[in-house]
Amino acid sequence: MSAIVAAPLLVALGGAIGCLLMRSRPRLLRGVSLLGGVGYLLATVALARAVFADSDAILVYYLSGWQAPYGITLVADRLSVIFIGLTAIVSLAALWVSVRTIDASGQRISYHALYQFMVVGITGSFLTADIFNLFVWFEVMLMASYVLVVFHSGPEQTRAGMQYVVLNLLGSAVMLLAIGGLYATTGTLNMADLARRLAEPAAYGIAPGPVLGLTGLLLCVFALKAGLVPFQFWVPGAYQAAPPPVTAMLAGVVKKVGVYAIIRLYFSVFAVATIPDSGGLSVVAGEPFLVVFGGVILVMALLSILLGGIGATGRNNLDELLAYSSISQVGFIVLPLAVAATTLPGDSLFRAGVLATIVYAIIHGFAKGVLFLVSGAIEDHVGTLEFSQLGGISEQAPVLSGAFFVGGLTLIGIPPLFGFFGKLLVFKVGVEAQNTIGWIAVGATLIGAILTITYVTRAWERAFWGPPNEFVEELTVSPSVVAVIAGLAIIIIALGIGFQPVYELANGATSAVIDTDAYVRAVLGPESAHAIGGGLR
Amino acid sequence: MTEVVLAIVLGALYALGTFLVLRRDVVRVVWGVTIISQATNVYLVTMGGIHGSIPIVSHGGGGHHAVTDPLVQALVLTAIVIGFGTTALALVLTYRLYQEHGTLDLQELATTEESQ
Repeated sequence: MSAIVAAPLLVALGGAIGCLLMRSRPRLLRGVSLLGGVGYLLATVALARAVFADSDAILVYYLSGWQAPYGITLVADRLSVIFIGLTAIVSLAALWVSVRTIDASGQRISYHALYQFMVVGITGSFLTADIFNLFVWFEVMLMASYVLVVFHSGPEQTRAGMQYVVLNLLGSAVMLLAIGGLYATTGTLNMADLARRLAEPAAYGIAPGPVLGLTGLLLCVFALKAGLVPFQFWVPGAYQAAPPPVTAMLAGVVKKVGVYAIIRLYFSVFAVATIPDSGGLSVVAGEPFLVVFGGVILVMALLSILLGGIGATGRNNLDELLAYSSISQVGFIVLPLAVAATTLPGDSLFRAGVLATIVYAIIHGFAKGVLFLVSGAIEDHVGTLEFSQLGGISEQAPVLSGAFFVGGLTLIGIPPLFGFFGKLLVFKVGVEAQNTIGWIAVGATLIGAILTITYVTRAWERAFWGPPNEFVEELTVSPSVVAVIAGLAIIIIALGIGFQPVYELANGATSAVIDTDAYVRAVLGPESAHAIGGGLR
Repeated sequence: MTEVVLAIVLGALYALGTFLVLRRDVVRVVWGVTIISQATNVYLVTMGGIHGSIPIVSHGGGGHHAVTDPLVQALVLTAIVIGFGTTALALVLTYRLYQEHGTLDLQELATTEESQ
């Protein structure tokens, strides 16, 4: 048991409470919030050091000392630490931009506390090993994000916010339904215990059929959070309505919570389960659950890539274009998972697929963070993001434009930027699969890549090139904001040039996903997991 | 028997909630969402089994009679509190929507979006 696991969570929570207490002192409030952001980064570094100190450490913390599976367990393994690291960097950058750009009264009212609570919810979702607790952290994250989306509370924001709230409330109800059903059918809420029981359902009296249905329901909820087609309706509205730094967080990090949940639950916990021979599922009888999930994820990924890409190409507003692009990019993120699902966790293709997804998720987090922060800086000073009102920004603000250029190119996947390796790995998985699904994935990636080139080029050409008009000539962004955005862009370049360590990290995270056995042993004790090892490897 | 009745009630609640969510009036949509989330709470309690006795261990040990699973009831309490907060937020948001747009009809809200 190691208490360091709870450190990022507690720091963020402390930051949130500190912000609530300092409401009457604006300067101190901003200081506390920034301190919370820096402290979160330090706590993450400390946690990462603890996790990576031992080559395959899985750190476990039992809340209030209640042993798993009875109490709530927090687990930090290499997968969660990577995503928390992404959160720490992007949230600190967005926080600094918030301090400089959100109007003073807004910051005083509630902005910082909400922002910190959103980070608390995100961190909790990455750390928890209990599916009901996951629901609670989702709610913490969502409730803060509801208010942040309607923060400016104009006509546009209230309408988009309403849509966002109603869709997510329905999603929450469905999530609770699925979790309650899973508890009734499997008798546990602990992820490790779920994995152990699903590995030998007969021994625990579990009917796999209902479990398959309920996990399918749960998959819809995670797809809603990740903004995959056909659950993407809230994305453009909410992204345009939210203040720009919040949009950077929503697109860069909050969406990844959905992706993380899909990886953790479907490719580690539920991956060990097999569809029963009886019960009317004769087409896929005897196959692992992954076959069904893989098919569903494949369809959602293909539709997201195409619909998001085509949608982005036709937009005349920079923010809207980026929002549609984000739908398309999440399609790219989950596509390798669909290919991986055609094999079992022991296979090299499975490893390659999960690895590609993790790498692409990190890339997308940084790239969308940069792009939305740039578009936010432009909107703050020009007042609009319609292409008809923009032009010539590259002359007026070369550094800002450079950051956008790097973000755009990394979405396209130009070497030596970080994005190149993401695209490379996604293509590689498709080609290596040597089956129909693999070739479909390659085709979709190709079409999606062409669409990405089209819309990024269009955004660049319409907004950043050409002669500056009278609105753009006013554009003077505060140097510290430019510096932070440029810093994120430099991270993208640096991670591309020094890709080897990133690859090692993502590879370690993939091992953590695949080795469900080790996860179960770490959470439930050494002698608990013998069943799973025999089942699949 | 109670479980059959509850199953029918649950079906009716979900049907009603779905019906309301598909209305044009925002207030009805919010009601629909609220009913669906409440129905989910009822479902959770039902899933815990309602045959056993109250899950309180009396003095000197529990005895051998079956008790109802107390965990689902703890889960439902959490879910109710969360539902309370989100419903309040949704209602406030509905009011703000009316203030900003002067209508709560989804069709009209969509047309104002197009005209901008």
